[in-house]
Amino acid sequence: MSPEELAFLALAAIAFITGLSALLVRELVHTILWIGIFFVDLSAIYFLLSAPFLGVLQLGVYAGAVTILLLFGIMVTRKRIFSREAATGIGAVPTLLSVVAFVFLLIAVTSLSSTTPTFTTYDVSALSTYLFGAGGPWVLLLSLVMLAALAGAIYLVREGRE
Amino acid sequence: MVDFVALLSTFLPEVVIAAAALLVFLLDVLGVRRTEVTAGVSAAASLLALLFVVADLGIAPFSAVATLPSGLLDSSPASASTSLYAFTSLGLVFQMIFLSATFLVSLASASRPSAEPGAPTFFGLLLLASVGMLFVAVAADLIFLLLAIEITSVSTYLLVAYRRRDRRTIEAAMKFYIIGALSTVLSFFGASLLFGAFGTTNLYAIALAPATPSAALVLVGYAFLLAGLAFKVTVVPFHAWAVDVYDGAPDDVSAFLAGGTKKIGLFAFFLVFLGPVLLARWATSFSPFGLGPFNAHPVFQLVLGALAVLTMTFGNLLALWQKEIKRMLAYSSISQAGYMLIGIAIGTSPAIAGATLQIFAHVLMKTGAFLVVGAVAALGIGPLVDDWRGLGQERPYLGVAFALMLLGLAGIPLTVGFVSKFVLFSAAIQAEGYFVWLAVAGVLNSAASVFYYARVLKAMFFERSDRPAAPSNAGRLGANGLGYGRAAAIAIIAVVVVLLGIYPGPLLSVMQSAAQHFVLLGP
Amino acid sequence: MSGLTIPEFLALASALLALSIFGVLTRRNFILLLIAIEIGMNAAILNFIYFAAFPLCAGHSALSGQAIAVVTIGFAATEVAVGLAIVLALNRLKGTTNVAESTELKL
Repeated sequence: MSPEELAFLALAAIAFITGLSALLVRELVHTILWIGIFFVDLSAIYFLLSAPFLGVLQLGVYAGAVTILLLFGIMVTRKRIFSREAATGIGAVPTLLSVVAFVFLLIAVTSLSSTTPTFTTYDVSALSTYLFGAGGPWVLLLSLVMLAALAGAIYLVREGRE
Repeated sequence: MVDFVALLSTFLPEVVIAAAALLVFLLDVLGVRRTEVTAGVSAAASLLALLFVVADLGIAPFSAVATLPSGLLDSSPASASTSLYAFTSLGLVFQMIFLSATFLVSLASASRPSAEPGAPTFFGLLLLASVGMLFVAVAADLIFLLLAIEITSVSTYLLVAYRRRDRRTIEAAMKFYIIGALSTVLSFFGASLLFGAFGTTNLYAIALAPATPSAALVLVGYAFLLAGLAFKVTVVPFHAWAVDVYDGAPDDVSAFLAGGTKKIGLFAFFLVFLGPVLLARWATSFSPFGLGPFNAHPVFQLVLGALAVLTMTFGNLLALWQKEIKRMLAYSSISQAGYMLIGIAIGTSPAIAGATLQIFAHVLMKTGAFLVVGAVAALGIGPLVDDWRGLGQERPYLGVAFALMLLGLAGIPLTVGFVSKFVLFSAAIQAEGYFVWLAVAGVLNSAASVFYYARVLKAMFFERSDRPAAPSNAGRLGANGLGYGRAAAIAIIAVVVVLLGIYPGPLLSVMQSAAQHFVLLGP
Repeated sequence: MSGLTIPEFLALASALLALSIFGVLTRRNFILLLIAIEIGMNAAILNFIYFAAFPLCAGHSALSGQAIAVVTIGFAATEVAVGLAIVLALNRLKGTTNVAESTELKL
């Protein structure tokens, strides 16, 4: 086993365990801690795949902004921040459904094991050229999504006369 | 260096609508917040964009103002395979359909209270949702398509919530958001698998690609994409959210959701699963999961056909039991999605033309029906079928308009609903094989749906009202209490429903030629 | 970076997606639902980045995978913001972020 592979397996295990813990712990603030680790862990995987720009983006946007945003959401909506949620059952049908989805995907994925793709790395400048050249329309559409979100969300949370 | 003038003229309808949205937000900041003004901007912009789209389609008197550079419309798959967007006649026809929905809802919403808070946000988001719909119609790339759908989705989550002090609307927005976000996750995951299998997300390049290293990855990717899009189209078993959301949302927003935005998922189905991609690829046998070679195309058609029958039957059965008009219309909207899926399952050009006409007819009739519901609610009459007793006698014009829309939804002759179902079902019979059973199921379902539409009509026209007296707010708004904008929108819809029912020729021929071009796009 | 092949990698993304579906279907707190949805979006982003690094098909520049990942990260963050706006509006009206408690519409 190569060191990269070992590193990946460790990171993958951490990703799954932190993700699961984030969903199952009963204290919402602990959820935020777990999901923070989850995001940082995924960022490490992106670095491992030699996508450093994506890794930094993941740290900034997810581990930074989204985590704080979620924490902020909890702070604003609760009187006592460290109060516990009522225990929620796991439910047989949803569990079964997600296990079926996983097995289905796993079968598809393992059918690929014969292929040996070559590892490709990219220059960050090539990525930026692509984003503002051939991929420009994506960025444009993203800006429209953000405009709609901005206009609507500000209106929704603003204290207004009514 | 990009030629911006050329780009602007290529995307003129989208630019007009986006500029109008920005204008509405700007007017909000400047303090111009009257409903009439913003509704006027919205209606005028959608009408202008509609004119440009019709011109680009090359329809006679308007083609003089066509702005789409020549050679871009219905270009070859090879040239579309390197771009993120491509203009097809079918896409333009759908843009026409989407813009009609925006125009009608804007016109009707002009009748809402003049100083209503949130009016600029409502119209701004309505226009932004329309921009997303327009971009969906020109997509040639999966990510472009999904992002365009998300413009509409994000706008409509917030549109449902725009009456921010109303518990029911916020709750409907919450449900809509959760389901919408889950469907987004499924679609993006499916797209990522397809990207892995083909190395590109361009739909035309996927169609032209040589054999893929992993048929299993392709199948699973399409399955996730199908599930994600099925939520948007309210295909059974992904339908459960729709009734609550249509019920809880403000009436005009329900009209836009059921009449307008739901149709983007159907066009996405057309793009992803038809002409450009699957017909050719899936007919060549491949062997996923080590099952040995098999032809995936009939399997796929069988799945879609089964979903279509399930959707229309389930929607109709539940609609029979509803006591509230709005929930009945929501279930009827689910069952109508089943009819449209028939066209996608068959995939021949007459079937696509029939499904397109069915979608247009449904946009008109469902938008109109929800607008009437909004009008009746504004008159102070309750939401139950029983509350509507005698309404047809008290307000004959409103009653007749609503009756026309319901008869159209049921597929009664002399309405556009009959023509569209006739074209669609005869395409199914032409396609032979088990598709004939799809036509049979469709006809049976149409017959069953007459029951619940007739129950409403009976209550409206043949039963006596037990309401104390007609609410006397006739002086508050023009047009007998409805407001001129809403009355005009309802009247336009009623007239068009009958007009196209008697004389569908020109529109149908436009749709047929668009469908033919679309099928030819496949390699 | 030679040791990794596709299955073990896509297995992680698949597991995260299954986790996301599980979370959306069973959790009742809106914030947890948002987190479950973000886990699913991360699974998709992971796939895009992975297939950019290990392209299965020659002939297309797989760089677009990284570009898609950038756009998707931006989009997913926007979606969280919209979700939080709805949470705040809901909380102001009902004093709870629990989806089950706040339901008035009949199913």
